[in-house]
Amino acid sequence: MSGKCKILWGLMAGQRLRYGVAIAAMVVSVAATFVPPLIGRAAIDYVIAGEELYAPQFVKNFVEWIGGQSMLARNLWIAGSAMVGLIALSGLFGYLKGRWASIASESIARNLRNRLYDHLQHLPCSYHDKAETGDLVQRCSSDVETIRLFLAMQVVEIGRGGVTLAVAIPIMLAMNARMALLAMVLLGPILIFSFAFFIKVRNVFKRMDEAEGAMTATLTENLAGIRVVRAFARQGFECEKFGEKNARYRNRWLELMRVMAWFWSCSDVMCMAQYGIVLVAGGYYIAAGTMTVGTFFAFFMFVNMYLWPIRRIGKIMADLGKATVSIGRVGEILDAKREDHTDQVKITRGPAERASGEIVFENISFTHGDGTHVLDNISLRVEPGRSLAILGPSGSGKSTLINLLLRLYDYRDGSIHLDGRELREMDRKFVRSQIGVVLQEPFLYSRSLRENIKLGRSAAHDEEIFEAASAAHVHDAIAGFEGGYDTVVGERGVTLSGGQQQRVALARAILKNPPILILDDALSSVDTRTENLILQALRQRHGTRTTLIIAHRLSTLMAADRTIVLDRGRIVQFGTHEELLKEPGLYRRLWEIQSFLEDDLGRNIGKKRGGNQQ
Amino acid sequence: MTTEAVRLKEEEYSGQFNLSVWKKVFSFSRPYKRYLWKLVAITVILAAVDAVAPLIIRGIINDAGQNGLDAQLWPWAMAYAVLALISCVCFLAVIRLAGRVSTSVAHDIRRDSFKRLQELSFSYYDHRPVGWLVTRLTSDCDRISRFTTGGAVDSIWGGCTLIGVSVAMLVLNWKLALAVLAVIPPMVWLSMIFQKRLLAASRKVRKTNSTITAAYSESIMGVRTTKTLVREEENLHEFSDTTDEMFGASVRNAILASMYFPMVLSVCSVGGALALWLGGVNVMSGAMDIGTLIAFFSYAGLFMFPIHELSRLFAEAQTVQAAAERVTGLLETEPEIKDSPDVLAAIETRAAADTQTGTAIDGMGERIETIEFCNVSFAYNEGKEVLKDFNLAVKPGETIALVGPTGGGKTTIVSLMCRFYEPTAGEILIDGVEYRRRSLHWLQSNLGIVLQTPHLFSGTIRENIRYGNLTADDEKIEWAAKIVNAHQFIKEIEDGYDTQIGEGGVRLSTGQKQLVSFARAILADPQIFVMDEATSSVDTETEQLIQQGLEKVLAGRISFVIAHRLSTIRSADRILLIEDGRCVEEGTHSELIRLAGKYYELYTNQFTEQQRAEILAGKT
Repeated sequence: MSGKCKILWGLMAGQRLRYGVAIAAMVVSVAATFVPPLIGRAAIDYVIAGEELYAPQFVKNFVEWIGGQSMLARNLWIAGSAMVGLIALSGLFGYLKGRWASIASESIARNLRNRLYDHLQHLPCSYHDKAETGDLVQRCSSDVETIRLFLAMQVVEIGRGGVTLAVAIPIMLAMNARMALLAMVLLGPILIFSFAFFIKVRNVFKRMDEAEGAMTATLTENLAGIRVVRAFARQGFECEKFGEKNARYRNRWLELMRVMAWFWSCSDVMCMAQYGIVLVAGGYYIAAGTMTVGTFFAFFMFVNMYLWPIRRIGKIMADLGKATVSIGRVGEILDAKREDHTDQVKITRGPAERASGEIVFENISFTHGDGTHVLDNISLRVEPGRSLAILGPSGSGKSTLINLLLRLYDYRDGSIHLDGRELREMDRKFVRSQIGVVLQEPFLYSRSLRENIKLGRSAAHDEEIFEAASAAHVHDAIAGFEGGYDTVVGERGVTLSGGQQQRVALARAILKNPPILILDDALSSVDTRTENLILQALRQRHGTRTTLIIAHRLSTLMAADRTIVLDRGRIVQFGTHEELLKEPGLYRRLWEIQSFLEDDLGRNIGKKRGGNQQ
Repeated sequence: MTTEAVRLKEEEYSGQFNLSVWKKVFSFSRPYKRYLWKLVAITVILAAVDAVAPLIIRGIINDAGQNGLDAQLWPWAMAYAVLALISCVCFLAVIRLAGRVSTSVAHDIRRDSFKRLQELSFSYYDHRPVGWLVTRLTSDCDRISRFTTGGAVDSIWGGCTLIGVSVAMLVLNWKLALAVLAVIPPMVWLSMIFQKRLLAASRKVRKTNSTITAAYSESIMGVRTTKTLVREEENLHEFSDTTDEMFGASVRNAILASMYFPMVLSVCSVGGALALWLGGVNVMSGAMDIGTLIAFFSYAGLFMFPIHELSRLFAEAQTVQAAAERVTGLLETEPEIKDSPDVLAAIETRAAADTQTGTAIDGMGERIETIEFCNVSFAYNEGKEVLKDFNLAVKPGETIALVGPTGGGKTTIVSLMCRFYEPTAGEILIDGVEYRRRSLHWLQSNLGIVLQTPHLFSGTIRENIRYGNLTADDEKIEWAAKIVNAHQFIKEIEDGYDTQIGEGGVRLSTGQKQLVSFARAILADPQIFVMDEATSSVDTETEQLIQQGLEKVLAGRISFVIAHRLSTIRSADRILLIEDGRCVEEGTHSELIRLAGKYYELYTNQFTEQQRAEILAGKT
């Protein structure tokens, strides 16, 4: 609990003063609302009925100074105006409170949102591997909203209730102690009742949420699988299934309404009883002559002022638990260590100049957090401007090799050097800025294609973008879209085919023009012919770029200077195309597919055909 | 953007008052009329009680003030107790009745909408994302029902309270009453202005909020790309623009709200002040008693809440109307594909006659022997034709494989076959009868379909297989599972056939899901079997399992297979290569290989890919 308070206090940094001022404004605002009933009391008793004025000495002096009872009686509008004026004054301070409190709470929410966003981007990949997207989004949206509501509404309302009572009680006691006690007799029970009630009915709310969730899930499932429903002509069955969930949701709602109806009417009975007590006791005291009509009036107004908020406060207090849970959930994210946290050496920016692109792996071994062994004593060297292809069955560690080079994961055993410098001693961001990567399932942001490509280099001109897209053989496809380069990708826009996505991501990497380019099975959804054209274009454009290609197609592998074959985390073969063809192994087996194909075709048509090699 | 897309945008405002929509919406509360009348009656009583209560205060004060200790306060106390009791009981009844009506209305709208969605053609679904449709049946329905019932109660209560209070004041002292009532118009005016703005401001907040949520999910899903592009700072910068916007919108909203109440309250207090001033003058001149003055003062405070509620309702009406338009739009859409009147008549005649075995529900033949596509063309929504003059005659028991590039029209042929769409030109004949003259339900319950991405429902494996035939017993279910070699894996998991597979089947692998969906299709014992890329998302091992069972299943049934797995294609009786909506090559596997055309190219490519995949998967 204290830990959560600490988190909250930390979040409030920079806004604490504003919060304080908002609270001060609230105190003024609340205090001002208590004066009009007192003015009413004075008007009724002193001005109208002509009795003695009960007020502090300075007020009495002031009244005498402006002309006393007779002057006020002639100008009763003064009392009325004073009332309106005070209400307006209270309103003004109420407004100021609202303004400052909302600026404070919204600033806190904004900072929290930005901090979470920044933090999520800097959490290591190993964190994201384990976390569920839906859960993280939920924490960042609804939990932050709960915290915001807590700060903007709940804290303020509870504070307001407290201040109201703190002002009302002394005034009432001063007016008439016995009456004051009677006027507050049911206050505690009402508060406790509403608090206990909302704690008690949490289950009812939860059950209703669950029923709603179940109904929505059934509905979503049905609509997503509408083809299956039709294919089996199960409309009737589905209606029945949904009908059941729909009815359950309705019944849960009814249950909630029933409970709420009891709550409101029970607390109504208590409030009405409190009124009744004031009313009857007031009548009695007036009859007995121990209380004036004006005092009665003031009491009546005061009860009105604190009775209704008290009922709400019970609910708010019952809801406070939610805020603590949310703070804890958000705190969990913020407590996770950022990836830069693990950097042993705090080197600032790397060398400002462009790397030449020499990559050396020395005795690299890597084991995932869950204990799976991925890479085992890998050593290899790629000279600047040369290309290396990586071949291997799935799970052999190809992508991990790339991820280590990108510093997406931290390695402990062995070393990786870029231009002769140990990667761990450089800023991660510098290392990444030297590398362009295209993944097999590339991620495009839901913005226009132009912006997506431009992410490679934000200062690029349109011509450069077109040129990069042409090199990636996607320019024509983009030009063919209705919106051209302004076509928005993703949920809100068009869906690109796998091959188009890969080529857009490639265009992005080409535009970035890094000294090292990595294609992680990046052209797998592109047909062989286009792939060859793209590879050719890449070769022509920049002879001085170091290239790492993970690929399965022989034609792609052949395009590289050297190929390594990985198996279960070890390099099992290494060499040029010609060298690898001579040894038995994965590489040669791929080569042999061609003859399998010829056999297969031969079986089918009874004679062998020569096919052009891929 | 197409007009369709424009209409689908969540436009919350709609133009003018739309009477027919409201009529339709209120027609949903017709079954609950008796509740509604009670509700109205009780609401009126409630408002009357509110209007009478200050009179008791007046009575007590006057009685006590004039008669001193001789005053009879007990009758007043009793009257108050009775009023309070009536008020509480009425309140209880109002909430319960309003709750009953509004939840029932929401339930009924959802029920009818769901039923309609089950009937609507796929063309309706093509441009409407699932999420959009779900929102119609959830938040739109809730909004409508809450507004129609809650709004009715609030407006009746608000109106009656205002009237009751006015009448009571006018009776007590009409001149003073008129003066106090003068504050109502400015209050109404202020409230209306503010409510409208508040609504617009909170809508802006909601909208920005969903942008923020989307940004979070994008940043999490794209975290690797962001890191490799070193975009962290730019992303944060862009994100903080959105949070700034959110900050601005929320603060504006909060400030508006914190201006609204003080201002309305201030205007309201003018009423009280007038009562004090003018009433006080009357009291001093002896024309009015002090109790009446205090009663007036409390009346003046009673305006506040009803006016606030009424103007809120008024502001909300537009939003609710837009929701209602969307929902009634859904309810009033007629399914494009349904049984013709002739077919319906035939179904009725058949139902009236003694049930004869061997005939379908529409009185025609039950068996499907041949299928014929005659010059079939098809276009989605008057767009480009995706199928042109397509002809195909399927013989009894034939397996047809459809191959070709994506978007060539393979899936369209199958969808037309299943009558998910109907040809825009040409005919499809089942045993020589145009299929629009047959019962839709009959045709579709004779289909067995397995799609590329298997869709399962939450529940147990057993329930999912039984979906193919609701009356099948456990033995039959196991039989179906055994045919597709699913039995093995089902037995191996913890609860066997009673395993809960979670929403959409998340607890199973894609291959396992596909096996279950095959078993489901087989249990349906369909006359026509359709596989749309059914084996493309499963691994080689699962594919082999399926392949073994499939031969038994396909025997004697007409089947359409869209596939790129070679084994599936090769075993077909006939292969059609579909490209640009036309059949460009047709024949058996060896015929087409010998032709050395497009199929040859497709086959060799696919062969290489498949071999490579197998080698890399560590198998030989």
